[in-house]
Amino acid sequence: MKALESDAPLIVYIDIKSPYAFVAIQPTLALEKALDMRFDWRPLTLDIPSYLGSARKSKGKVVESTRSASQWVGIKYAYRDARRYVERQGYMLKGTEKIWDSSIANIEILWVMQNNRDRLGAYLQRVYPPFWRRELDIENVAIVEACLEEAGIGSAGFSAFQQGDGRAQHDALQAQLHPSGIYGVPTYVFDRTILFGREHLPYVRWHLTGRRGPAPDIAYEIDAMETQPC
Amino acid sequence: MLTVTIDFKSPASYLALEPTLDLARETGIQIDWLPFATRPFSIAAEKTGETVGERHRRVRALSQRDTWLHYAAVQGRDMHFAETPAGSDAALAALAGIDDDPVPFIRAAFAAYWTEQADLDDEMVVAALLSSVQRPVPDSQSAHAKLLSIRAGAEESGIFESPTYVIADQLFVGREHLPWIRCLVEAAKVS
Repeated sequence: MKALESDAPLIVYIDIKSPYAFVAIQPTLALEKALDMRFDWRPLTLDIPSYLGSARKSKGKVVESTRSASQWVGIKYAYRDARRYVERQGYMLKGTEKIWDSSIANIEILWVMQNNRDRLGAYLQRVYPPFWRRELDIENVAIVEACLEEAGIGSAGFSAFQQGDGRAQHDALQAQLHPSGIYGVPTYVFDRTILFGREHLPYVRWHLTGRRGPAPDIAYEIDAMETQPC
Repeated sequence: MLTVTIDFKSPASYLALEPTLDLARETGIQIDWLPFATRPFSIAAEKTGETVGERHRRVRALSQRDTWLHYAAVQGRDMHFAETPAGSDAALAALAGIDDDPVPFIRAAFAAYWTEQADLDDEMVVAALLSSVQRPVPDSQSAHAKLLSIRAGAEESGIFESPTYVIADQLFVGREHLPWIRCLVEAAKVS
């Protein structure tokens, strides 16, 4: 698997532990459905402490942190921002109490793409909302494996996959990302164009529908179907 | 009233200007433009022994620059990144000191910075820009004092970046929020 290449019209990089990926899932799935296309969804397991410092909370209070004051300001805004948009979609977003290793749940994305592509949306629905309600331990293989079954996807063989071939595929992909110019999620890739953030969905749609009319600017689109008014 | 912070050396502020003015024109909302300096944008050179964090920040900066250039082209706007970015403090102080419509000066200052790489920390350059839009040069000392006061007030409100939009007690960083901001403006009109 090459980081910028796919037979699909669009590559979508996501990470279960990213609030910005969470808020992008619904609009990206909706775009895929509206265009009757199949995007190439892939994992990007963020190494958050390497660039944003690390922290651990207990009972809502920070008990360990290597973050600067300005990093905290940015992180707190990012969570508030993702939360208000997630709530518009009818979901809940609670700040995480530690930086999770999301690699097992992310390797499951590879598993689903290779074994039951049609159930990807169901899998993402089964994992993202409960994780962000703090109801899912994504480091526990048995729990993550159960998500597959609940999403209607066979899990036989996943345990070996996540330790063997799946882990190798995941790690090989991660090693290509920075050299390819990819650093965060959600990232959208088409024709070697790399766009980070769901604000690019209007442009992605414009591209995928034949580039008719003027190209749109970035925007977090407001969906009339969202549960909350502005 | 919609409050918008800007910094002339902020690429995101530059690209937010015309879409924000479009919103104001289409909805009739008044905009209070506040100067708020941001950290200069730079891209670190690749080096041997780079840590993962250093590589992440370098790749992110390269990607940000490419994305800004991409949307400058989408907007039909000229945009060039200088090898060594100039400052903007003198122009921000001038903006703080303008009493009437600041938009002609804002447009001139952004264009000078992003198309001619003008040094907006040079008071002579800023004076020439003010003159080009028929605005008087404000008293430097009081303008700088006002700039500091605006910054302190903005930080007190939780502002840390430009462009930030403040409306209905909510902060929005970046023009990508304009659809929601428009929705809030329209809702306020109805109520």
